[in-house]
Amino acid sequence: MSHQNHPELAEVFNKDFERTTWHDETLWFVRQKRDKAVYPIPEFQDLRTLASEIKDHTLSNLDNYLIEFEQNAIKNGVKVHWAADATEHNQIVMDIIKNSSKVEGRNPRLVKSKSMLTEECHLNGFLEKNNIDVVDTDLGERIVQFRNEPPSHIVLPAIHLKKEDVGETFHEHLGTTKGEKDPQVLTEAARQHLREKFVAADVALTGVNFAIAETGSFVVCTNEGNADLGVNLAKVHIACMGIEKIIPKLHHLSVYTRLLARSATGQPVTTYTSHFTKPVEGKEMHIVIVDNGRTQQLGRADFRNSLKCIRCGACMNTCPVYRRSGGHSYDFTVPGPIGAILSPNIDLHKHKSLPFASTLCGSCSDVCPVKIDIHVQLYKWRQIVGQANELSATKKWGMKGMAKVLSMPKVYDLSGKLARGALRILPHGLTHNQSMNPWAKARELPDAPKQSFKEWYEENRK
Amino acid sequence: MTSREKILSSIASNKPALTTLPNVPIFEGDGSIERFKTVLEGIGGTAVELATKADCQTAIDKYYSDLKNVASDIVKANVEINLDTTKETLEQVDLAVIQGEIGVAENGTIWVPESNMLNRALPFITQHLVLVLDKKNIVANMQQAYNKLENVGSYGVFIAGPSKTADIEQSLVIGAHGARSMMVLIY
Repeated sequence: MSHQNHPELAEVFNKDFERTTWHDETLWFVRQKRDKAVYPIPEFQDLRTLASEIKDHTLSNLDNYLIEFEQNAIKNGVKVHWAADATEHNQIVMDIIKNSSKVEGRNPRLVKSKSMLTEECHLNGFLEKNNIDVVDTDLGERIVQFRNEPPSHIVLPAIHLKKEDVGETFHEHLGTTKGEKDPQVLTEAARQHLREKFVAADVALTGVNFAIAETGSFVVCTNEGNADLGVNLAKVHIACMGIEKIIPKLHHLSVYTRLLARSATGQPVTTYTSHFTKPVEGKEMHIVIVDNGRTQQLGRADFRNSLKCIRCGACMNTCPVYRRSGGHSYDFTVPGPIGAILSPNIDLHKHKSLPFASTLCGSCSDVCPVKIDIHVQLYKWRQIVGQANELSATKKWGMKGMAKVLSMPKVYDLSGKLARGALRILPHGLTHNQSMNPWAKARELPDAPKQSFKEWYEENRK
Repeated sequence: MTSREKILSSIASNKPALTTLPNVPIFEGDGSIERFKTVLEGIGGTAVELATKADCQTAIDKYYSDLKNVASDIVKANVEINLDTTKETLEQVDLAVIQGEIGVAENGTIWVPESNMLNRALPFITQHLVLVLDKKNIVANMQQAYNKLENVGSYGVFIAGPSKTADIEQSLVIGAHGARSMMVLIY
């Protein structure tokens, strides 16, 4: 099957007009909540600058901080593993599970809290193939897991679904009453169902929001409490982190904890900010440190600061393209503007349409809590896509033609005249033909003026 | 070459020139009880002021008389919780009353170190959670909180209100997996 690009997938999402509008408005509402949470903090812009500079510094000394983190974690009794890519990461996680939880007569049971890294590595499918029962415990993730879908947003995994969809899914998988769609009732059903899973689990896996070099600790932020509940009831805790999650000092958390939830959902802080340093006696704690393309991105001067991302999702909530095309249209683990600058590093050919899924309005950069110049990087990836000869034929020849016309004033004047005339004479069905003029999908051209600006100026300049 | 060596050497050759680590100031701010209470209520918690810590028992009797299984080392408890308590017993806890160490007025969060938890799972598995807080330990913001925190111990959590989710259509539901309600007794 050939791979569908962003415009094609966005078109699928856009077929349901009402849902698209709802999606757009809901995410904009989250963006507004972000603003309300941010404006009362007088030093918010200072915090963004600090967050950005701490991460810049960390990236410039990342190898040494990782070594410091590893040494301290080992001292704390934590086992540290390194994975160059997704395959190695998945193998390590499976080996830990199989070694630590041998139970006769049944599969090992794993509960997971949210980890975009394990989504990136496609861990769930791998473990299930190897007879490990995997239960995602974040409510949104459990919903999409039941539906066999990937998350459509990094903070709000099920934001593409309506409560009726969730009601249907829970009726099928949890036996709730058919037609039940009250979020309160559905959440209670998930609570009862997942409590059983938490108590029965052998191993709990979490992501990592921040890893502190100075202490060897790592921090996990949740609202539901699923990470702590899973980890503290299971015998084994596995925490998976990308190499870029490091911060140097404990007190640097004071910067990021003031930014993360405010930027993400407009909350003053996540309900639980959990600091894991040492395992309980008799239990195991593992950390898997993963590269999977990150060191390559570190080597790209124009794009390395995308590694500063703290995965708040603010750039998605504000993006006019994301809001109207949905997370699945990006076909990458991290959708939205940040995903569009991370994905070409992984596979330029597959994700070549993503840097174009933007109006370059810059709203993403404005809200980014660590000041990543997202829209500038989108623009720069476009140049690379062009140089790699990966532009679509219409875009490529359109651009070439346009460049020619713009370089010759006489030709430009003439084409303008012809176009103005043609627009007046030709039937609407032709000028707005959607295969010849995709711009005209859901857009109307203005009436063609009688003269060009240049002609008007020459007449009126006295 | 191991993956560890591969990753570290790739970083060494790809990283940019060393930049300076900025100094994080201890920002000033309003660390009043009033602000703490307002913010906490805004995130779904409740706050009750007491004259002394000894009044905790009266408050628990007043607000939680309907709850059967109480775990605490501060007020009268009828479930004993320690490091070896089984999951099955932990699951039965209706109310946990635990000492909190630092309150943050800006976001309503409270630092709870492992040593106060009786068992790491207790603050999360209990149906309802009460944290007890000395008002002189309320600070304005996270810079002041981490500054006050000497170390994070083996495990510790900032807890801000009850467990919540908005994963279904962005409708806020209190009581996702953790505590269904959260009260702070301030003395």
